[in-house]
Amino acid sequence: MSPRTRLWLVAVGGAGVAALLVAACLGLPAFGGDHHPYGDRAVEASLAHRTANTIASVNFDQRAFDTLGELTILFAAVLGCVALLRQTRDEHRARPEPAEVAPPVRRYALLVLPVALLTGLYVIAHGQLSPGGGFQGGVAAATALHLLYLGADYRALERVRPVGLYEVGDGVAVCAYLVTGIAALLGGAAFLANTLLPHGTFNTLSSGGTVPLLNAAVGMEVACAVVVLLARFLDQAVEIEEESGT
Amino acid sequence: MHHLLPLLVAVPLLGAALLAAAGRRVPRAAAESAGCAVSAATAALAVVLLLGSSPPQAEWVGGWVPVGGESVGIVLVGDGPGLGMAALASALTLAALVYSWHYFDEPPRGHSGSFPALLLLFQAGMCGFAIAGDLFNAFVWFELMSVVAYALTGHRVEEARAVQGALTFGVVNSLGAYAMLMGIGLLYARTGELGMTRIGQELDAHGPPDALVLAGFVLVLTGLLVKGAAVPFHFWLPDAHAVAPTPVCMLLSGVMVELGAFGVWRVHDTVFSGPGGLPAADVERALVALGVLTAVVGAVMCWYQRHIKRLLAYSTVAHMGLFLTGIGTLTPEADDGVALYILGHAGVKAALFACTGILLDRYGSVDEHALYGRARRLRGVAVLFVAGGLGLAGLPPFGTALGKSVTEEAVGGPLTVLYVLASAVTAGAVLRVAARVFPGLGPRPEEGDVYETTGSGEEPETRQRLSRVPDTMTAIPAVLLAGSLAVGVVPGFGGAVGHAVQEAGTGGLVHVSVHWTAPGVLLGLASTALALALAAVAVSRPRLLAAPDRALPLRRLQSGHVGDYVAWLLVGTTLLGALALPGILGS
Repeated sequence: MSPRTRLWLVAVGGAGVAALLVAACLGLPAFGGDHHPYGDRAVEASLAHRTANTIASVNFDQRAFDTLGELTILFAAVLGCVALLRQTRDEHRARPEPAEVAPPVRRYALLVLPVALLTGLYVIAHGQLSPGGGFQGGVAAATALHLLYLGADYRALERVRPVGLYEVGDGVAVCAYLVTGIAALLGGAAFLANTLLPHGTFNTLSSGGTVPLLNAAVGMEVACAVVVLLARFLDQAVEIEEESGT
Repeated sequence: MHHLLPLLVAVPLLGAALLAAAGRRVPRAAAESAGCAVSAATAALAVVLLLGSSPPQAEWVGGWVPVGGESVGIVLVGDGPGLGMAALASALTLAALVYSWHYFDEPPRGHSGSFPALLLLFQAGMCGFAIAGDLFNAFVWFELMSVVAYALTGHRVEEARAVQGALTFGVVNSLGAYAMLMGIGLLYARTGELGMTRIGQELDAHGPPDALVLAGFVLVLTGLLVKGAAVPFHFWLPDAHAVAPTPVCMLLSGVMVELGAFGVWRVHDTVFSGPGGLPAADVERALVALGVLTAVVGAVMCWYQRHIKRLLAYSTVAHMGLFLTGIGTLTPEADDGVALYILGHAGVKAALFACTGILLDRYGSVDEHALYGRARRLRGVAVLFVAGGLGLAGLPPFGTALGKSVTEEAVGGPLTVLYVLASAVTAGAVLRVAARVFPGLGPRPEEGDVYETTGSGEEPETRQRLSRVPDTMTAIPAVLLAGSLAVGVVPGFGGAVGHAVQEAGTGGLVHVSVHWTAPGVLLGLASTALALALAAVAVSRPRLLAAPDRALPLRRLQSGHVGDYVAWLLVGTTLLGALALPGILGS
C-alpha cells in the first residue's frame, strides 16, 4: 500500500474513531458528582476487613483474582523475554570491558543505592496502610540495584545479581500468591478468600488479614521480574555479540 | 463444586511457576512430562466441572457473595459454553505439549522448562477468559493469553520473519486490547459495575442506548474481533501463523481465535442484549456483514496460497467468518450450531497443522510447489491430511458437518450458500495441497511470482531434519481427527451441547433439538463434492484456477507493514460503529 493510501485510511478510520469517542465522552457522568456506586461499596468492604488503604483492599482482597492475572502477565512477559532474548546459535558472549565512571556519579549512586532499596522495601511493607504496595515498591527496589551499573560497572552489578536466583524468586513469588489462594480454598472458603489470618487492628502493620502476604508476594515477584528483565536486555546490549562474518 | 472453578486457572499457573523456578535444575524430559501432567489434570478438572454444569454455576472469588444484589468481587461463570471452551483449550494444550514432546527445537540453555511453562500460562489465560463473568477480569486473562501468544509466536528468534510476525501480532492485538479497555472504562463510568450481568442490568435501568453505549459496544467488540481475526482486523493472523512453531499454531487456530467469537457471544448476550443495549437488528447487521466479508476474503485468500501454514491460517479466517455470521443472526439454533462447529473445526484444524509440522520437520519446507511429490512415502500422514481436508469441507459424520448443518438451517436463505462455498473452497485448497504433496498428482507446478511467500527453505523445528516421523507426532493428529469425528458421531453429544448453550444463553427457555437432518447431510456432501472437484481441477488444469490479476490487489493488502494493519484496524472500528449506528439514532 502506498503511504498516501495508508494516510487516507488512517484519516478516515481515525476520524470515525475520534467522532465515536467524542460522542461517547459527552455521555459520561459530569465531573465531581457524588454517585460512586463501586467506590462506596469498596470503602465499606475495605473497612470491614480493617484494611486502611482501600486501594490495597481492592487489589489484594476484593479483586485479588484480577491481581493474580496482572501478576502472571508480568511473569509471562519475563518468561517470554528470557526465551526470546536467549543467546542464539549464531551469537557468542564477550566479556565487557570495565568502564571509567566519573567520581561524583559513583559517590551519588553508592549513596542513593541503600536509600532507594530501603524505600522500595518500605513501600512494599506498608502497602496495606498507605499509598504504594507490591507493584510500586518492587520496581523501586529492583531499580535501586541497578544504580550499581551506573555507579560502578557491569561486573559489580553481576556480582550482586545472580540472575538465576532472581528467576527462581520470580517463580516462587507467583507460587506463594497461588498457594495463599489455594490455602483459603482448602480451609473451606472460596479461592483467595481473606480468611486465613485474623484481620488485626485497623491501621497497624499486621492488619488486613492476607493483604500484606499477597502484597509481599507481588513485591517479590515484581522486584525479581524487573531485575531479570533488565538483565536480559543488558545482556543483549553489553555481552552478547553476533558472530563476525554472519 | 463451584468453589473449584478458579482452579482451572490456578493449577496451570502453579505448574508454570514451578516449571519456571525449577527449570534450571530438572532435565528436559522431566519438565515436559510435568507440563503434560499439569495440563492433563486441568483438562480433567474442566471436564468434571462441565459434567456438573447443569444448572450453570457461579463462583464469587474471595467469597465476596453479593449482598442485596451488589458485590465488590469477581464472579466466575461455570456454564456449558464457558467450561466447554476451557475444556477444549486444555485438551488442545495437552495435544500441543505431547506433539512437541522431546522433538521440538532445543530450549534455551538452562531453561528446559520455559516452553512448557509458556504453554501452561497460555492454557491458564484461555481458561480464565472462558469462565470470566466479569468484564475487567475477562480483559486481564485476555491480555495474559495475548502476551504469551506473542512470545510463543516469536519463539524461533533466529529467523527475522518470526520476529516480524510476532511484532505485528503484538502491535495489532495490543491496540485491540487498548480499545477494549477503553470500552470497559466507558461502560464502568456509566454503570459503576464490572460484572457483565450487572452492567447489562444497569444499562437497561438507564434507558435506551446512546452514543456512550454504542462506543462501549464498538470498542469492546474491536478487541474481541481483533483476536477473532474478523476482516479487516485479521491481517496479523496469517503473518503470525506462518512463523509460529507448529504446536503454537494448533492452539492459535484451534481455540484462541475462536475464543474471540465466544467473547462476542458472551458479551453481547450478557451486556448488550437488553433494552438498554443495542437493538438486535443493528447488532445482527454489524456482525453478519463483518462475518460474510471475513468468510469471503478468507476463502479467496486461502485458495491463492502456496505456503501451507498461511493457507491453513486463511482457512481459519474463513471459518471465523462463518462462526461470526452464525453468532450474528442471534438465534438460539445458530448458537448451538456454531458451538458444535467450533468443536469440530478445532480438531480438524489442529490436526492439519500437526501434519504440516511433520512435513516441515521432515523436508524443511512448507511450500506446496517445492514439496510436489516429495512426501510419497508418508502414507499415514497423507491419509490424516486428506481426512482433515474432508473434515474441513464438512463431510458427514465429522463434527464440522453437524455444526455446519445446524447453523445453515438456522441462518437459512442465501447465507447457506456462503457456508457451502466457504467451506468447499478452503477444503478444496487443502485437498489440492494433499494431491500435489503426497502422491504428486498433476503436472509439476510452475514457479510463480518471485515476491510470493513460498514457505520453502524453512528451518525445521526439530534439532535436525527428521529421518523418521516419531509416533507422538502422528498419533496427535489422528486423535484430534477422531475427536472431531466423535463430535458428530457420539449419540446425544450434539443434543447435550445444544442444551448447555441454551441453558447459558436463554436460561433454558428455548429448547432446540440438535440432530442430523437430511438437507444438512446433503449440503455437507455437496460442499465435500465441490471441494474435491475444485482440487481436481486445480491439480489437473493449474492454469484454469490460478490467481487472476484481479486478485492481486486483495493479495497485496497483506503487505506485512504494521502501519497498514493499524490503519485497517481504525477503519474496521469505524465500520463497526457505522454499521451499528442506526440503533441509537432511531431511539
